[in-house]
Amino acid sequence: MLHIYNIMLYIYTMESRNIYNRIAVLRKEKLLTRKELADKIGVNFQTIGYLEREEYNPSLDLAFRIGKVFDLPIDIIFSTEPLKPLSQLLNNNKEK
Amino acid sequence: MALKKSNNSRKVGVALTLFSLLAMVIVFEYYKIDRGHINFIIIEIIVFIVFLVSFTKTFIKTGLWKFTHKPLKKLDEREIELTSKSLRYAYGIFTVLVLGLLLSLAVTNLSIDVVLVASLILFAHILPASVIAWTEK
Repeated sequence: MLHIYNIMLYIYTMESRNIYNRIAVLRKEKLLTRKELADKIGVNFQTIGYLEREEYNPSLDLAFRIGKVFDLPIDIIFSTEPLKPLSQLLNNNKEK
Repeated sequence: MALKKSNNSRKVGVALTLFSLLAMVIVFEYYKIDRGHINFIIIEIIVFIVFLVSFTKTFIKTGLWKFTHKPLKKLDEREIELTSKSLRYAYGIFTVLVLGLLLSLAVTNLSIDVVLVASLILFAHILPASVIAWTEK
């Protein structure tokens, strides 16, 4: 019984988990339109909007394609925790 | 505010399309019973025009019809997830409705006519797009 409960809890938490991302900031930094980014990663431009608003969690394959376009590792672009600004991240690294 | 308004108008469009489809079947059934009455033909034509207008505005102009009839290869992963979810809901709704309809027809000894079948075919095609129109933000 407890096993079933754990599975259900796992599925529930898996489905409700929100993935945060920096796609909007990085896209603007690269001076790309949603359509241009969408063409580069092979999705509909509306999907970029959904990704930027964090209303859709991308697959691992799509996350890697996005990482390739921005030339960044995916853990810099995506996170399960709310993301801090990149400037703050860079300052923290300098202090270390 | 504009988004909420467009969501509401989409829902009104879906409701109007489905109700006019249902009304066409009901009016035709009444016409079968009372064949001499020309009013039923006039009502049927009006309902059909309402259906055509609301269907064109809600499904054709918004691209929903095209979207739900696109080949799988032309959809990205979010769109595949969206269409498969809508198809799952549509399948459930359609199955329950058709089985209920068949049961009630068997109980009441009524026959299945061409308008009912044509409406069901249209309904089956409209339903996945209706689910998306109703549920999407």
